[in-house]
Amino acid sequence: MRISEVLLILILCCSSLFAQSGQTASDCASCHRKQADTQPETQMGRAMQLPGDNQTLNAHPKLTFHRGSFTYTVETLRGRTEYSVSDGTRTISIPVQWAMGAEAQTWLLEHDGQMYESMVSYYPTIQGLDFTVGDDRITPKTLEEAIGRPLPTEGVTTCFGCHATNAVVNHTLHLKSLSPGVTCEHCHVGAGDHSDAEMAGDSSNLPPLLQKLSSEDISNFCGQCHRTWELVVRAGWRGPANVRFQPYRLANSRCFDGKDPRISCIACHDPHQKVVRDVAWYDRKCLACHSRAASAAPPHAKICPVAKANCASCHMPRVPFPGGHFIFTDHDIRVVRPNQPYPF
Amino acid sequence: MTGPILQPPTRKSVLRRAVAKLIPGLLMALLLLPLLARGQQSPNFDEVEASATAAREQGDVSRAVELYRQAVELRPNWPDGWWYLGVLQYGSNAYAPAADALSHFINLTPNAGPALALRGLCEFEQAQYPQSLQDLQRAIALGAANEPRNAGIIFYHEALLLTRLGRYEEALAQYTTLVKHGSLSDDVYAGIGLAGLRMPLLPKDIDSSQQQMVLKVGQAAASVMNGDLTAGREAFQNLFTLFPATPNIHYLYGYLLFTVDPTEAIAQFRRELNVSPASAVAHSMLAWALGTQGDFTAALPYAKQSVAEDPSLAVTQLVLGKDLVETGDVNAGLPHLEAVLKIDPQNLEAHIALAKAYSELGRKDDARRERLLCLTLSGKQAAPDANF
Repeated sequence: MRISEVLLILILCCSSLFAQSGQTASDCASCHRKQADTQPETQMGRAMQLPGDNQTLNAHPKLTFHRGSFTYTVETLRGRTEYSVSDGTRTISIPVQWAMGAEAQTWLLEHDGQMYESMVSYYPTIQGLDFTVGDDRITPKTLEEAIGRPLPTEGVTTCFGCHATNAVVNHTLHLKSLSPGVTCEHCHVGAGDHSDAEMAGDSSNLPPLLQKLSSEDISNFCGQCHRTWELVVRAGWRGPANVRFQPYRLANSRCFDGKDPRISCIACHDPHQKVVRDVAWYDRKCLACHSRAASAAPPHAKICPVAKANCASCHMPRVPFPGGHFIFTDHDIRVVRPNQPYPF
Repeated sequence: MTGPILQPPTRKSVLRRAVAKLIPGLLMALLLLPLLARGQQSPNFDEVEASATAAREQGDVSRAVELYRQAVELRPNWPDGWWYLGVLQYGSNAYAPAADALSHFINLTPNAGPALALRGLCEFEQAQYPQSLQDLQRAIALGAANEPRNAGIIFYHEALLLTRLGRYEEALAQYTTLVKHGSLSDDVYAGIGLAGLRMPLLPKDIDSSQQQMVLKVGQAAASVMNGDLTAGREAFQNLFTLFPATPNIHYLYGYLLFTVDPTEAIAQFRRELNVSPASAVAHSMLAWALGTQGDFTAALPYAKQSVAEDPSLAVTQLVLGKDLVETGDVNAGLPHLEAVLKIDPQNLEAHIALAKAYSELGRKDDARRERLLCLTLSGKQAAPDANF
C-alpha cells in the first residue's frame, strides 16, 4: 500500500480533528448573542436531527420506496420514526435515532450491533425517498444487506464527528455526550475553558480566532468536514461528484491564494448565518479583487469584460450532482468555456 | 502471440511501394512488376520462415532457433522472427540471446508489453535488476499484467526486484495485491519476509540459518495483508518472542497495521525504536503516524531524527518537510520537500505538501503549479464520475 493511500484512509478515519468539549451553545449565547441566535438554524447547525425534533419527517409521516423485491418505509408517529425494509415475507424495522442532514436526510441505523447508512434517503426536491448517493450500485442479496451500507467503526466516527458536536472525543465515539448538529464548540477549540474562565472573571483565556487563519488554513479547517483539497487529491475523486467538496474546488481556482483573505471560505460565508442564495449578493466579494477600485488587487486580477454583476452565475456554474437530487455551486472559480469538460 | 503489431509486411504492401516508385512510367512498371517483387525479397526467406515455423510447431526448439536466426539475418525488420527467437531462447534458459532478440523486437514494436515483460524476466535471470524492474514496470503500464495468467508472475518478480533494490514499502504493496488475489506459496512468503525484514536479497540468496525466520515473518505479514488481524496478531506475538532482537519486525507489524489501527501502529513503531534506535524508517513512520493524528509537534523530533539517521531517503525528507510546514516553519520545510523530489520526482505526497507550503507563503503560482501536478499524478488512479 502506497503512503498516499495509507494517509487517505487515516485521514478519513481521523477526520474529526475538532476539539470538542462539554460546553453547550447556551453557555456561549450569554455573551455571543448575535451568533447564537442565528447559527442553530443554519444548515450546519441542523446537520443532525434527533427523533421528535425532525421537522422533515414530521411533515412526511409516511415515505415509501421500492427497489426490486425490497420495499422501504419510513414512518413517523408521535415523534418516533421507524425505518423498515421488507422483502414481502419478512420485515426488519429499526428505530431512527440519528438523521443526518438539514434538508436531504440520510439515517444512521443500528441493527444487531452493526451501524448502517440507510440505503434510501429523503430528498426535498422530490419530497420523497430515493437511493442514498452511491448506493444504487449496491445489489443487496439479503434483507439485512438491503438495510443499507454497513459502516466500519471509523466511518461511524467520521459521520458523527461532522454531523454532531461532542460525539467524538480523542477519536472515540461518545454518543451520550452528543449534541446534534454543529454548535459553537465544534469549531471553536477551547470555548469551554474560555467560558469557564469568563464566569470566573478571567477574560484572558481566549480561544484561537478562526478569522485570523490564512485562507489556506481556513480551507483545511472547513475541509475537515467539507473535504480538504489534499484528501480529494489523494483519493483520486474525479468528476462532477466532487462538486460538493468546496474547499477542494476552491483551491483549484486560478484566483485561490492561500494568503489572501479575500478568497477564504469565510470571506463569502458566515458560518453563523444561513447561506445566502442570492447570486448578486456575492458580487462585492468578487469585486474586492476584480475591479479597478479594489485597493490591493493583484495585478493579474482581471476585470470582467462581459458583466459587472451576478459574477457567480457565469464563473461558478451550478452543477447537478450525479445520481442525487442536488445542484451544487461549483467553487472552482473560472472562465467557463462552452462544451468544456468538468475540470478535475 | 498474435495481433496487428506482429504482422509482418505483406507482399501486397511491398508491391504497392514498388508501384508508387515507378509512377509515372506505368507501362514499364507493369512489365517489370514481377521482377521487382522478386528482387525486393530474399530468395530464401519464405523457405526459411516456413521451416522455422514447422520446427517450432514440432517442438524442435534448437532447430527452430537456428532457422529463426537465419530468417532474421535475411530480414532484420521481421518482428515475428525476433519474437519467436526471444521466446524460444527464453524457454531454453538462454537469457542473454533471448533478451537480445527481444530487444530487436521491441525496437521494431516499441509498445509491446509482453515483449518488455519477457525481456524483464530475462534481465532478472541475468541479475540485471534495475533494467529488469524498469522493463517489468513499463510492461505493466502497457497492460502486460492485465491477463491474469501473466499478472502473478509479473507482479511477483516486480516485488522481488523492489525488495532486491531496497524499495521495501513498494514491494509490500505488491505483495499485498498478490496475497489478496490468493497467491500464497512459500516463495511468496519468503519474498514478503525479505521485504518485511528489509533485506535486499532474493529468496535464493537467504542464508540457511535465516530461512525459517524469513518464512515465518512472511506468513505473519500475509495474515495481516489478508485482513486476518487476529491470526496476524498471534503470529507477530510469536515472532516477537522468538526473535526479540531482530530489527524491523515491530516496524513491519506497525506498517501493516497503520491503516486499520493507527494507535497500535504507533506503539509498534515505538517498540521498533527500542530494538533498533537508529532506524530511520521507524522514526519517520512514527512521525508520520503522529502527524496523521494531528500531533505534528510531537512528530517533529522523530522527523528530525529520521533525517539525521538517513537523509538519502525520500520518506525521511518528506516527513520532516511536512512536519516543519505543519508546525509553522514553512521556510525551513521547503528545502526538505524539494529534496524529496530530487530523489523521487513523482512523489505525490511531496507535491501535496509543497502545494500547501507555497500557498502558505503566498507563492500563488508555485502553489498552483504543484496542485496541477498533483492532479495529474493522482489522476492516474482516479475514479471518474464515481459518486464516492
